[in-house]
Amino acid sequence: MSSHNANPYIPFASQILEIVSHTNREHTFRMAFTGKVKPGQFFEVSIPKYGEAPISVSGIEPGVSVDLTIRNVGRVTGELFASFGVGSTVLLRGPYGNGFDVSLYENGECVVVAGGTGVSPVRGVIEHLAHTTDAADKHVIVGFRSPEDMLFRADLERWAQALDLTVTVDGAPEGYVGNVGLVTKYIPTLELRDPATTTAVVVGPPAMMRFSVMGLLERGLTEDHIWVSQERRMCCGLGKCGHCRIGEKYVCLDGPVFRYDLSKDMID
Amino acid sequence: MTLDVNVKALMKNAFRQSKVRGETASRVRVPGGVINAQSMARVVEIAEEFGNGTIFLTNRQGMEIPGIPLEKVPEVNERLQAIIDDSGVNQEERGKGYPAAGTRNVVGCPGSRLCPFGCYDTTALARRMDKAVFPNNRHVKIAFTGCSNDCAHVALNDFGIIGMTEPQYDPARCIGCEQCVNWCKWRSVGALSVVNGKIVRDEDLCIGCGVCVNYCPTRAWTRSPEHYFRLKIMGRTGKQNPRLAEDWLKWVDEDSIIKIAQNTYAYIDEYIDPGAPGGKEHIGYIVDRTGFDEFVKWALDGVELGPKCERASRVYWGGKRYDRSNELF
Amino acid sequence: MGFELSREGLDRVLTELGESYLLYAPVLKVGEGRFTDADVVRYDYVSSVEQIELAHKSDYAFKELLTPLSETLFFFTENECKVADAEARKVIVFLRACDLHAVKRLDQMYLANGPQEDWFYRRVRDRVAFALIGCPESFDNCFCCSMDTNVAPEGWLFSLEQTDDGYRCVVADEQLTEVFAAQAVGEAAFEPAHVSANDTVVRVPESVPVAIYQHSMWDEYTARCIKCGRCTISCPTCTCYTMQDVFYTDNGCVGERRRVGASCMIDGYTNVAGGGQYRRTACERIRFKVLHKVHDFRKRFGYDMCVGCGRCDDICPEYISFAACVNKLADAVDALAAQEVSADE
Repeated sequence: MSSHNANPYIPFASQILEIVSHTNREHTFRMAFTGKVKPGQFFEVSIPKYGEAPISVSGIEPGVSVDLTIRNVGRVTGELFASFGVGSTVLLRGPYGNGFDVSLYENGECVVVAGGTGVSPVRGVIEHLAHTTDAADKHVIVGFRSPEDMLFRADLERWAQALDLTVTVDGAPEGYVGNVGLVTKYIPTLELRDPATTTAVVVGPPAMMRFSVMGLLERGLTEDHIWVSQERRMCCGLGKCGHCRIGEKYVCLDGPVFRYDLSKDMID
Repeated sequence: MTLDVNVKALMKNAFRQSKVRGETASRVRVPGGVINAQSMARVVEIAEEFGNGTIFLTNRQGMEIPGIPLEKVPEVNERLQAIIDDSGVNQEERGKGYPAAGTRNVVGCPGSRLCPFGCYDTTALARRMDKAVFPNNRHVKIAFTGCSNDCAHVALNDFGIIGMTEPQYDPARCIGCEQCVNWCKWRSVGALSVVNGKIVRDEDLCIGCGVCVNYCPTRAWTRSPEHYFRLKIMGRTGKQNPRLAEDWLKWVDEDSIIKIAQNTYAYIDEYIDPGAPGGKEHIGYIVDRTGFDEFVKWALDGVELGPKCERASRVYWGGKRYDRSNELF
Repeated sequence: MGFELSREGLDRVLTELGESYLLYAPVLKVGEGRFTDADVVRYDYVSSVEQIELAHKSDYAFKELLTPLSETLFFFTENECKVADAEARKVIVFLRACDLHAVKRLDQMYLANGPQEDWFYRRVRDRVAFALIGCPESFDNCFCCSMDTNVAPEGWLFSLEQTDDGYRCVVADEQLTEVFAAQAVGEAAFEPAHVSANDTVVRVPESVPVAIYQHSMWDEYTARCIKCGRCTISCPTCTCYTMQDVFYTDNGCVGERRRVGASCMIDGYTNVAGGGQYRRTACERIRFKVLHKVHDFRKRFGYDMCVGCGRCDDICPEYISFAACVNKLADAVDALAAQEVSADE
């Protein structure tokens, strides 16, 4: 095992290149980053005197930047929203975690089911699928709580052109034109040619992931073709602090992306 | 049989006047409420041999052995000797029983000998107090309780002593789990809060109950080596103006409390109503008459309160004044 | 080589060692226990053998030196992030056989779980050496023999135990032989005392079926456990911590990042931003903790985490016995296996 002399707890400075506002409380911060990174990995956003928060990578421009889509729900993210603008410097640690191996999904049929901020970690996966030659075989279902909670609107429009995209909201005011219903509602009607070889990626709140996986298994997908991403309290990102442990697995080291058959017995 | 008994002397000898003519009850003094098993057996023997085979457990942790024929008092007194020796109660003449009954048994809750929340050894201090003030015929009630829960109901006494500890905080041992904050809120007064991940104690609000120390998982909170006390004074039950004792001193030390109690006897001697029936008057009524300052002057004579001690310059009591109104409101 | 020493002789040894090392040992802290006039044995720096509590097991483990309850990592100023200074002197930690086995567990987590070492742990670990306190007798609640931790692994400089008329020390580090020999009143060949049986015997199940997670054996703990975390804080092998950022001044210019001990038993451990929480009930937390100690850690690293020191049982205010729980677990695993066999037949 390699040991580094550098102190992994010391964050590095990264400039905010751009801020895209999705909703009042959800912004994407485009951060300067030149290192290697994969979709599904996460950074610890470190705001001295406020703390650190694990944020998954929602987009990558290799050698230039990473996107961090952040919901303003806590002390750290609150301070980030309040006091940091384009040009400001933010401290980061990472990337941490295994991330998605997009090569697993690029050939053949693939289903991506994502809910809410769960869309962030798979945004890079969807982006990759949208550029494959058989993009018509890629099925993406994304769900948000309401039309106001929708993230990545511009991406959604682009993806709709490239692959089989279903966007749905849990609930909407009267007169809303678009799908209303949970993501699981759209799994039974997916047009799959060969479910036994179809791969799937499921990311979102725990209940949404559980029922989506059940739906996919009912469609005939196999457990070893489904990948899920787990969110836990990744406090250090280094496998030391213990908070994200489930059984013998550390989400920050062994995950957050797990193949379903290898992770279904992970019980909190 | 013709009986010619000095009832006043009998009562001062700690025997009760009974409804049943010719009978009395022996009042066994148990300072601090702890009696050893041997002496308990002796009480049983006296009850079986001289009494009616029953023992009454008094409200002030003493025992009364009823059904004793008056003529057996001298024999019972001889048999009480071993019990008196064990309990360490002061005596004037061996074999003659208890020399006084006016100053009531000194009460103590289980305290730190047993109770996780007790802030001091109530039994030991009750016994020390008993040694300091007994025998005395003045009607004085003193009680000791280990913490502010006041399980001993000290607020119904002339002197009610409540244990306190001054919580000591070591931030280097604190993990900010906030259990002290929560338990202080749930079980006590909510004197703790979190500032910058560490705990801040509101010293004015803190009652020194030690709940934080009890629930601290790391020993970041510990107890002060010094034991401190809250002294409540002049509580009473009764027909005229029953009332709870009120706080006079806070963070006071043990020696001062003993001295204050001793001083109070001189104050009573000076100011008691000479016509009080049986020479018995609650101190509180005397204080009402002389004014609080006069009491303080006597009580604090020669007392050096420690630097931590806080003293109320005035004390106000409430309670119902039945001697003025018996209305139900 | 074993040496017999008088108290004065051993003190002279410690004084000499004190020139190169700080000495960190279990100390009886009078009146610092939980209850009034109660004592506690916890670690502190010492300078003489009288200060070392040899007659009792420490209530809190030695780990507070390696993983402090509260440790400042950085100081922040307006434009700067400065790593907190650390004690530079070397330390000899006095501990028992089970504790020395626990050091291996701490090293495993902090130095070998994941690709990167914990920089702060490494910084302190590199200046720590160990002295072994011999165990002539088992204490209450010890079950080291069940966990195979009753004999100390290598890695101690010298051992120490009290005899009727003095002390005896086995010196393992040859560089120290002279120091001890110079003060010894006698020499003999012996090994540090270790226990070979405990009153408490724990049976660890070899493997645990998934069904155990839903088993009713855990249910009782929800009502019994108060989630205080003393079991984990006193444990020599628990390593969890939480980051804490603070600032001191009104304008927020100066602050620090520290880490403080954390416990999977205490509220807040799993809280995620936005209000999510896992394992709300005490029975889930106990299941999580117990399985970590005797199953999950082994599945990851190949050996059990628990070293059988019994401190968790010593300290639990609710008389919840970890040892009893592991035995219940073993019974439950057996019962589940038996059910499966009978279902197959």
